[in-house]
Amino acid sequence: MRFGGLIAVNDVSLDVHAGELVGVIGPNGAGKTTFFHTLSGVLKPSAGRLTIAGDDLTGCPPHVFAAHGVARTFQTPRVFREMSAADNVRFGLEFAGRLRRHAHDAFDDVETILGFLGLAQVAAVPAGALTPARQRLLEIGIALGARPRVLLLDEVAAGLTHTEVDATAQLIRRVRDELGVAVIWIEHAVRVLMDYVERVAVLHQGVKIADGDPRAVARDVAVIEAYLGEDGEAQRAAA
Amino acid sequence: MGFWLELAASGLITGGIYAVVAIGLNLQYGLMRIMNISHGEFLMLGAYLTWLAHTTLQTNPIVFLPVVALALFVLGLVVYRLCFQRIARTAPAVEVIEARSLLVGFGLMFFVQNAVYLAWGADLRGYSFMAEPVDILGARFMANRLLVFGVAVAASLGLLALLRWTMIGKAVRAMMQSPTGAQLVGVDTGILHPVVFGAGLALAGVAGSLLSMVYEISPSMGEPYTITALIVITLGGLGSAIGSLLGGFLLGLVEAFGMHFTNPSLKMVLSYGVLVAVLLARPRGLFAR
Amino acid sequence: MSRRDVSLRSVPTALGATLLCGLALVTLPWLLSDFLLALALSCLMFAALAVSWSMFCGPTHYLSLATSAFFGLGAYVTAWGLESMPYGMAVLLGGLVGAAFAAAIGTLVLHLRGAYFAVITFGLTELTLHSITYFEKSYANTAGRIIGNAPETPLIYWTVLAVTVLSVATAIVVRASRLGFALRGIGGDEERAQTLGVNTRRVKVIAFSLSAFFPGALGAAMAVRWTYIEPLSVFNPFIGFQTVLIAMVGGAQTLIGPIISSVFFSLLTEFLRLRFPYAFLLVLGALLIVLVLYLPGGLASLLTRRARSHA
Repeated sequence: MRFGGLIAVNDVSLDVHAGELVGVIGPNGAGKTTFFHTLSGVLKPSAGRLTIAGDDLTGCPPHVFAAHGVARTFQTPRVFREMSAADNVRFGLEFAGRLRRHAHDAFDDVETILGFLGLAQVAAVPAGALTPARQRLLEIGIALGARPRVLLLDEVAAGLTHTEVDATAQLIRRVRDELGVAVIWIEHAVRVLMDYVERVAVLHQGVKIADGDPRAVARDVAVIEAYLGEDGEAQRAAA
Repeated sequence: MGFWLELAASGLITGGIYAVVAIGLNLQYGLMRIMNISHGEFLMLGAYLTWLAHTTLQTNPIVFLPVVALALFVLGLVVYRLCFQRIARTAPAVEVIEARSLLVGFGLMFFVQNAVYLAWGADLRGYSFMAEPVDILGARFMANRLLVFGVAVAASLGLLALLRWTMIGKAVRAMMQSPTGAQLVGVDTGILHPVVFGAGLALAGVAGSLLSMVYEISPSMGEPYTITALIVITLGGLGSAIGSLLGGFLLGLVEAFGMHFTNPSLKMVLSYGVLVAVLLARPRGLFAR
Repeated sequence: MSRRDVSLRSVPTALGATLLCGLALVTLPWLLSDFLLALALSCLMFAALAVSWSMFCGPTHYLSLATSAFFGLGAYVTAWGLESMPYGMAVLLGGLVGAAFAAAIGTLVLHLRGAYFAVITFGLTELTLHSITYFEKSYANTAGRIIGNAPETPLIYWTVLAVTVLSVATAIVVRASRLGFALRGIGGDEERAQTLGVNTRRVKVIAFSLSAFFPGALGAAMAVRWTYIEPLSVFNPFIGFQTVLIAMVGGAQTLIGPIISSVFFSLLTEFLRLRFPYAFLLVLGALLIVLVLYLPGGLASLLTRRARSHA
């Protein structure tokens, strides 16, 4: 993905299989969010192809991605602030979700999704009035409303305490287990993901430098050096 | 040769006025997202003030220019305080600021136009000033138009210099690029916003004053200039003062040559056609990077 | 809105209420003097303009100044076509022309937002005005047109009433529909709506086009009130401004706001014109400023405030 003279994501390929829980990590500026933007159709890649379940979606606008089952959250929650939490989730169901009607039976209505996320009691509250933590959960709910095949999670654990991360990760695993949804999860630090994902890919300055079992990746020399390059702060995070 | 020079010159002269008006509006919108649709009315006020001073006190319009600038600057401070400050404080989003300031702008437009109409009626007024012809390079110009051009260009360049080299100018540019960042380093929007708003109106008033030296004035003379200013800002890009300068000249030239080659009644079709075309092709302006 | 406040259950009620009001208003030509009937006509026209404007611009937060263009085009459909077709047909055709024009310009300009969009719709309106002026002068050799065999006032009134009732009904249905939901999503966060499966480009063009049908039909209907029309009178940008003012002062997010506001404005304008014949714009301007500054939610917010204080 090229922005003018800057190559943000350079020749990164990622194969994800149904029901896989994959983490994508990398220091700041590694190109993770840009990568996500291309995966969801928000940005058109300058080169390369994107296929999902055999359909080539390269260059398609975001709503086509959604119709094929790609749902995403944003790093800073982007909810419909004026609408209630329930309406936010309903939105996904009404549009992309409707096109994928027979994809999943488990999460067919707003109440179930809200209940699953522990947001049932705030269903009528305007999304803009929710706490940031709840907005993050709502982000996931909105994505689930779209009945995805692949769920892209962008730094959902950023800034959370260890227990909160654990709770979120359990939630994500349940999404994967109960719905068979593939999940691609971006985080800044590998320590966060390590216990939950089956596979980790590492991006550094737009290039994929590792891809495999989390423990092996954490010990990979190239990965450690990439993080060390961030003046030791990240070394502590990756260790 | 002389003919083409005259044509180009007349385009540049009108363009100079367009530039002055546009720079003022551009600063207001670029900095504060205030779509001051009543901008042209203050141009009209400047024209009326000059006419009034000239016909009752026999002042020299050129000498009176700084007075007009100051008067409209102060008026701008008052108008900002009364009409626009509250919007900036209470609006939840930028689009809301734009929408509300647009509505307030309409209110101001009705108010000011009607007030002037009440005071002096709808008849055209005017006075004669430096209406002698001057010959340059085989082309004939009216002295007052040359003067208008000169002052307009000087004012525009002066403002550009101000923006580039003074602290206040840098503060304005900083605010336009990054409001939070600018505030963090101590730029006080409480002072900057009214001052820039006042400066914008002062520029409009100066443009009006210049126009009164050449043309007749009426209460409704302002509106077309607001529109033209919008077109120029679109051409030159929001927030770019130099874009407005170049865009103003460009539009003046397009109008002058367009009118000559096609038909004077197509002047408006041309102007709006240009506006629409530019907005479609390069919404950020012709000169945007 | 914090909830989807027009559920499918209440749509038939709202439609029923609208129809009843419409039927009640049918009787006015027999009850009112000519002057009052003209006032009622003006109220209805602005109500329809404001409601249809809010249909698209309310939820999406777009600021369209193109209403005068649709109105003017409709008026010219009547001016050019009334000789060869019945009045009702001209009104329908005017609406369709408005919708078609909106679809055409919509595909070109709806990707712009905020002030850019406002300016370009204004520019397009002026462009249309000046193009038609030029066209009429050069090819038809005329500055204006005379409208012959105009229908009687009651018929004009009933036609405008029908268009108004239709616009309110359409607004009710759109608000409760998926289209309305999509529009609100676009207004909230367009990119987000796209990632949730909304083809925002298509939705916007459809809604914009739908909302332009009514000004077009109204232009065609009202043109017969002036025996002589010229471009400047029917493409008058003031029509567009006034529509925006009325809709926003009323509260463009609501259904009832623009309706109340149009009645309020029509009565206010008449009153001001009578009381301050030379200063009416002055007073209107000052009032407008005060309203926008101190009642930003529009007149509709007065109603919700009252309701809350009684609760």
